[in-house]
Amino acid sequence: MLASGTWGLGENLNKFLTPKEIRENIGALVSKGISINPKEGNPPPRLFETPSGLINSIGLENPGIKEFKKTYLPKLKSYKVPIIVNLHGEKIEDFIELAEELKEEKIAGLELNISCPNVKKGGLAFSSDPKTVLELVKEMRKIWGNFLAVKLSPMGPVYEIAKICEKAEADAIVVANTYPALAVLNIKPLKILQGGLSGPAIKPLTLRLVYEISKKIKIPVIGCGGIISGKDALEYLLCGAKAFQIGTANLIDPRSALKIIKELKDLKNGLCS
Amino acid sequence: MFKGKVVLNQKESESIYLLGIEASKSILKSFQPGQFLKIKINERMDPLIPRPFTIHALKENTVYILYQVVGKGTKALSKIKKGEIIEFLGPLGKPFPRLKNYLICAGGIGIAGFGFLLQKSMKKRKFYPPEKIFYGARTRTELVRLSFLKNFNIPIEVATDDGSKGYKGFITDIVEMELKKNPKPVLACGPKKMLKKIAEIGEKYRIKTYLVMETFLACGIGFCKGCVVPLKKGNYAHLCIDGPTFLAEEIEFEFLS
Repeated sequence: MLASGTWGLGENLNKFLTPKEIRENIGALVSKGISINPKEGNPPPRLFETPSGLINSIGLENPGIKEFKKTYLPKLKSYKVPIIVNLHGEKIEDFIELAEELKEEKIAGLELNISCPNVKKGGLAFSSDPKTVLELVKEMRKIWGNFLAVKLSPMGPVYEIAKICEKAEADAIVVANTYPALAVLNIKPLKILQGGLSGPAIKPLTLRLVYEISKKIKIPVIGCGGIISGKDALEYLLCGAKAFQIGTANLIDPRSALKIIKELKDLKNGLCS
Repeated sequence: MFKGKVVLNQKESESIYLLGIEASKSILKSFQPGQFLKIKINERMDPLIPRPFTIHALKENTVYILYQVVGKGTKALSKIKKGEIIEFLGPLGKPFPRLKNYLICAGGIGIAGFGFLLQKSMKKRKFYPPEKIFYGARTRTELVRLSFLKNFNIPIEVATDDGSKGYKGFITDIVEMELKKNPKPVLACGPKKMLKKIAEIGEKYRIKTYLVMETFLACGIGFCKGCVVPLKKGNYAHLCIDGPTFLAEEIEFEFLS
């Protein structure tokens, strides 16, 4: 799968990958996070590169659900691969409203971003409060019969949240989102950038989470964190992931997914022979 | 990404290098002045993200990049030897606007993208040559590629901060003197401070000025939404797909500070 926020909303994807390449190599496209209203995103700077990693603070820039359905979704469907729409909201009701908006659409499923702040809990991330996550997933399950995945934050009570997602009958969990990070942009006067760290730098951390979580729950774990080679993907699969998402690698090269899948196939063939 | 062979990586000044990458003609033929390439520096993971470089010139099967060593990416690039294979993505971004009777203003490494514009403008089809080139740098040795630029028979005025060559002071001083006499559009690339001054001059004399902007960018293709430029309208443009050249009056002025 291509991870949310790392390939836009498909506007330029076909400039770099042919429809056949997309169909044959990508299991699902996970859309950029969609909210009820359009979001302009954060002021610059939004990016900072760290050793083998990337901090981003995009601020969930997106066109909003109405525009997404009207302008972007038809094109995404034309790629003929399962579309998973990533949703984020400020309160549980927002997620419900978004899911209602997508009920009639032929999409493969939803991925809930629970790393965003919950305004009803003083801006604390949904992911830091197991009770809220339980309520969110239960409420979503009532109205959404198709595939429902929850994208976990790597921070907070991660194992508890994973179990709660299973209890509330989510179909899968994605482990995990980016790690809260900070970069010093200027020393004097001090200027910082706070955002989420992704890329190979976080792979060992997320791999550990995938390994531990997949022992604790029975629903599939989708690994997501710093995969840039077939070997990385294989490691996730060997450590309990049933599928994986490619994120930052897409920003390095839009054709990374193809390279990763080929390397993975070659490695698997090597292991079998 | 495309593969290319390094045929040249030559020092032009203390920190500026000229890189030549040989690649297939079918790839190079789509390149337009003002566009950029994202070059993967090496197989290692640090630096992780390929770096963007404007296209400096094109000759037969070789694309030339003029770059300044400023960080670990460009430092690693400067160590690449002739014969090595590197990967690049491109052409990315929008070409320069098609201007007529205009001036070029370049500060420091900002001269890089104009070589290709001059080359293409000689045919006077899609692009037209500027009436004059204004090129400033800190000191004489940092005014690079002058002999190449002189090939196009377009008047060049230079300025250096220390007066070691040409006018002593900022290049924008002499651009303003010229515009006072003879107002015309300006296409500018250089440090933010210079771009800001150009935008101010443009406003003062009611001239359209076009600024080639720079920011850290990751994907270069509109995927990540990381390279935003704030606009006066209150929204953001994405440098990689909407730029890198912007009409100065559209950019939020504070961003240039």
